[in-house]
Amino acid sequence: MDIFITGLGAISTIGNNVDEIYASLLAEKTGIRKGTLDHSMKYHVGEVPLSNEGLMEHFKLKTKGSRTALLGMVAAKEAFQGHQLMDEVRTGLISGTSVGGMDITEEEYRNYLKTETFDAEKYKHHPSGTTTEQMAEELGITGFVNTISTACSSAANAIMMGARLIRSNQLDRVVVGGTDSLTHFTISGFRSLMIFDPEWCRPFDETRKGLNLGEGAGYIVLESEKSLQLTGKTPLAKLTGWSNASDAYHQTASSPEGNGAVLAMTKALSVAHLQPTDIDYINAHGTATPNNDSSESKAFINVFEGKVPPFSSTKAYTGHTLAACGGIEAVIAVLSIQNNVLFPNLNHTTPIEETGLIPVKQITRIENVRNVLSNSFGFGGNNSSLIFSKL
Amino acid sequence: MYYIHAIQSMNNSDVFKQEDIHQKLVEVSENPTLVTPDFKTYIAPTALRRLSPILRMGITLAKEVQAAVDQPFDAISVGTGLGCLTDTEKFLNVIYTVEGDVLSPTAFIQSTHNTIAGQISLDLGNHSYNMTHTQNNLSFEMALIDGMLCCEEGSKNVLVGAADESIEFLNKLKPSVFDSETLFTTSATFLAISADKMESSIAILACKTIANAAEISVETNAFLAAFGLSLEQINCFVLNTNELETPANSEVFHIDDQLGFNQSSSAFAVHVAHDFLKSSTKEFALIVNRSSNNYLGLILLKNDKTHN
Repeated sequence: MDIFITGLGAISTIGNNVDEIYASLLAEKTGIRKGTLDHSMKYHVGEVPLSNEGLMEHFKLKTKGSRTALLGMVAAKEAFQGHQLMDEVRTGLISGTSVGGMDITEEEYRNYLKTETFDAEKYKHHPSGTTTEQMAEELGITGFVNTISTACSSAANAIMMGARLIRSNQLDRVVVGGTDSLTHFTISGFRSLMIFDPEWCRPFDETRKGLNLGEGAGYIVLESEKSLQLTGKTPLAKLTGWSNASDAYHQTASSPEGNGAVLAMTKALSVAHLQPTDIDYINAHGTATPNNDSSESKAFINVFEGKVPPFSSTKAYTGHTLAACGGIEAVIAVLSIQNNVLFPNLNHTTPIEETGLIPVKQITRIENVRNVLSNSFGFGGNNSSLIFSKL
Repeated sequence: MYYIHAIQSMNNSDVFKQEDIHQKLVEVSENPTLVTPDFKTYIAPTALRRLSPILRMGITLAKEVQAAVDQPFDAISVGTGLGCLTDTEKFLNVIYTVEGDVLSPTAFIQSTHNTIAGQISLDLGNHSYNMTHTQNNLSFEMALIDGMLCCEEGSKNVLVGAADESIEFLNKLKPSVFDSETLFTTSATFLAISADKMESSIAILACKTIANAAEISVETNAFLAAFGLSLEQINCFVLNTNELETPANSEVFHIDDQLGFNQSSSAFAVHVAHDFLKSSTKEFALIVNRSSNNYLGLILLKNDKTHN
């Protein structure tokens, strides 16, 4: 059964919507710069420049929520634009997030540590599930509302879950993706892991030091063929392959050979009934940590038997947006298919010595981008691969 | 229909590795504490020290369920409402109180919701599908829907479970954040499901979640009608609400009486219903899980020991 994509929405430091993001990608313009908040100012991060009030006003949001929920509403609404709710089309929302309402919780908890007083109401925004419920309210979606939380693979897994529910005839149409805001909690977390690059991150470069964090949200709308007949929407691309596998190696580090990644990519190809040679572009997870990029590179060589297709990480544009990255990168994969363009891996100079792999380094237009593989890997060895295909 | 081949729980009642738990439930006390086995039997002492209660429960229950079915899982699907709160709070304390450039990452690493399922995959050396759902008190239902979908797609032995842990701070927040007068408790339930019947007689017929639900009786009747059933044919109800009028001759368990408030309580409700059906000739059990904001979870269990 075909799973059609009929809507795209995204917000990140490189743009408030899909058109702006596409323009920044083409202009090879990063959005990563020195942070502007107390907890981000020491680092290079990909902040969305609008405040929470700014987001509510600019995008005319009706529902209040954490920053994570607000970013999610913006991107999900863009993806769902032009869609109508109707009884005959069972419509769901599945969203990935790792921090949920932590941006509010951490402020309140800091206050509590100082004063031992607290405003219990503020904690209402904390649960990740509530983030999605707030988004559902804004979109008017009732029925199936679910949240996936598998760290940095959350959005990819939400997309996968949506596709599987459509294929199983439990849903006709579903808004899927992920959202995460930058928080003191995650900035401190990655600092404690000592995997920040103090400068601009350099995915797949021999000299890479680590990642830059970012924030944002990315959603796509998936529909069955039956749903298309009722909604009358024009499909943009298809989602043909998906898989999740467990690396089962370490709490945070990937196995040196990328075993979980190999499993995820191989199984996604099999779900899509595609051969490795059918993949025209890989949008890599490519966080620019020494461990991820080495492990992912070796997994590429293994899966593609040495003939690795053009690949790049777009995280040097957006920063690593954690639970949102699979959603934003799903939008980027569809842009690649629609426009037959491969997006560059910014800041790359020296290939990783051990693998010698060279990513796409400038905007590259090819005759036909048929299939794009998109990887998202999370803590706990949670590896997910999606395949997007031309109609 | 998805058969339950093993089910294990841990919470404030003495239920771990017990049979007929529906007869062993005790009312939640003023000071509920988690009744645990000796975790050292399941987890190496060096690892045990850094693991919070939610992670200890997850690993132990998964291992016990795997031992009972005696084969590796080919998918793992876990639900949690609030995730790893002990480590989340610990790391919040670290970032606001520890001076200097070096922070211990352990609490951060273990604070993400999927540490429960991830740690299970690590401990069991399991490379299969590994998913974590979090939808407040419907988190277990979401994990179950995914687990049943895995069976539909060909998985033969799926681990489904849910876990939530209480921390002292949560009790300060009620009732304004959570619609509950009862105390927060720590609880987890894990089960192995499969489309194959094998030795099992208790099966999950269906699980449904509804956001923005209409009246409970309306939704419940519609849910049952799809299976040609009515409320009167349900022999056992495990619920967290008084809003449903249950038939006079049915067995009713109010899960909050035993468990207090726990966002994974519907997973334990399945365990209670499972043991009730297993020890009887009764045919159907229904779990009704309502949340304050009109989200509703419904799970239907069937005993096909005597009814085919």
